[in-house]
Amino acid sequence: GVFAHLEMLEARAHEAAVKQEETEQQEEKLARLKARVQELRLQRDELRAKVDLQQKGQLGKEGVVSDPAQPSARAVLEWKIKSVKAMLQVFYLTGISGKLTKRGVCFCISTAYEGTYLDSYHLDLLTKAEVQIHRHSVPIFIPLEQIAKKYLQTDIRRFLSVLSDHLNAYAGRRYQADQLQGRFSNRIEGTLQRNSLCNLLVFNYNVSSKSKTFPFNARLLYGDLCCSLPTEVTVSCTPDAPASLAEMAAAHSDLFRRVALHKAFCSFSSAEESVD
Amino acid sequence: MDVTVAEYIRRTVLKIPRDEIKTMLQKWGFLSETQLQTVNFHQIKENISQDVVQLCEENSADIKQAAVLDIIYNHIYPNKRVWSVYQMNKTGEETEFFDLTDFKKKFKRRLRSALKNVTINFREYEDNAVWIRIAWGTPYTKPNQYKTSYVVYHSQTPYVFISVSVLKSNLPLLCQALVVASNYHDIREMELRSHSLNSLKDIVFKRYSQNFQTYYPRPLQERNMAPESGDLRIIQENRNEKERIQRVNQEVFGDGPQPKLEFAQYKLETMFKSDPKMDVLDEKEPFRCLVKFSSPHLLESLKSLAPAGMADAPLSPLLTCIPQKARNYFKIREKKGFFPGSFVSP
Repeated sequence: GVFAHLEMLEARAHEAAVKQEETEQQEEKLARLKARVQELRLQRDELRAKVDLQQKGQLGKEGVVSDPAQPSARAVLEWKIKSVKAMLQVFYLTGISGKLTKRGVCFCISTAYEGTYLDSYHLDLLTKAEVQIHRHSVPIFIPLEQIAKKYLQTDIRRFLSVLSDHLNAYAGRRYQADQLQGRFSNRIEGTLQRNSLCNLLVFNYNVSSKSKTFPFNARLLYGDLCCSLPTEVTVSCTPDAPASLAEMAAAHSDLFRRVALHKAFCSFSSAEESVD
Repeated sequence: MDVTVAEYIRRTVLKIPRDEIKTMLQKWGFLSETQLQTVNFHQIKENISQDVVQLCEENSADIKQAAVLDIIYNHIYPNKRVWSVYQMNKTGEETEFFDLTDFKKKFKRRLRSALKNVTINFREYEDNAVWIRIAWGTPYTKPNQYKTSYVVYHSQTPYVFISVSVLKSNLPLLCQALVVASNYHDIREMELRSHSLNSLKDIVFKRYSQNFQTYYPRPLQERNMAPESGDLRIIQENRNEKERIQRVNQEVFGDGPQPKLEFAQYKLETMFKSDPKMDVLDEKEPFRCLVKFSSPHLLESLKSLAPAGMADAPLSPLLTCIPQKARNYFKIREKKGFFPGSFVSP
């Protein structure tokens, strides 16, 4: 009847369980043996290496000394990691580097001026449908939207290149203004008037000639946002100043247009030293 | 010296914490170092302020100079005021040069042409910020120095930070003057408000920590999950989940400190969804309610919700989008179409 049927099923289940346990045990045993084989193989290799070295007479101390001509797997891996890191560093140093993300690509634009690396800025772009800027850390006064409107959809390389020019030029202008305020603060009268983009600088500075100092006023306008040199320079002195000073003002004006601001001031200092 | 000016200086000095009074007066520069030496800065503030007023009397301070002291105080303690962010727009694409003298001239001229009785002071700071203090009067009364608005503007940016305090009726006038002075076309208020001026700047200038994926080999920071070299009998059962939460949190919030906001407000205009049998406003009309999250430091507390086990990671994008969308006031309406959900109005 029913009980007999149940008993039969129970017996069957029991058999199946026993069988499964057996197979599991077999597998476990097999795995253990395989692991043991690996262990022994490793030991054998180590001992072989020892024997080789002993035969070559290089074994000076205890332990396994690996043959320098045959680098270990670990050393190879470390070398690979090092060279990849170096490659990434090189890309970073070129100024524009990128990494693919789940939804697009993330660019990093690093700025530099005269061999000094300055700030880095990031752009997270989505490229699934049309190219869109998802997030970024570009300063708000850089005309990012304008540049994106012109180039982002059509020529992404040009977009990055133009943006990089803007950022690098800004970094360069700011660097010059900071240098002026920092290193030549003793020559500046009053405050250096500047703005966020550092594209308009107005300041008064002292010029010494024949052991007298004269105040000059300089107004530097950087019309090209991709350039770190000014497009318009006005240097003026007081109306009652001697004529030679007017010449000097013109010379300075020309110098500021051609040479970085802090370098120009360096040359003033050395010129005055040589005269005195 | 005018009695009102004396009283104003006295009250301003009283606001300053005692240990800071001397430094602030030095920054002000109106009283000479020798004069400051004569003041005992260890006595009670009431007496210090009297002494300072006495010295200002000797130098014949006027309201403009007193106003400068007020700007300095507010610059050092901006968090005592509530700041709103305004955004300006322009259509032209010419390069901005921002001449400070030009800006100040245009602003004063525009404001004064509409209202003669105003005290306007400017002060520039190293970070290209211009602070403007305006004390408002009426066409018939002198400016009330206790009813001031403050404006902070960074050159060549479209954002203005305004702390109005009272007299909101003067706001349109102020906005107009700003637009004209900075060569923009129009201005609108953003849905972003906080006591922390610097945090507001961090948000709109994108100076807060965003986690960008780069290959730049940054030095690997010590993870919070330091190996518990302590008791080896204690096993972290949820180690994987904890690490996942940390990772997701870091992706969303970045590594650095969060901008400081005090609240986020969500105005819901969504349909209440319930069991149809319950017959409670089901799909009849929007269930209007207001959800407000308050905290001394809202974003940091949101960041710590998942690691503390109080919320699932990742958090709702409605909460995590706050710095990126630069807003802490939201209106949530029903999304029209097949899949009723909610969407955030721009």
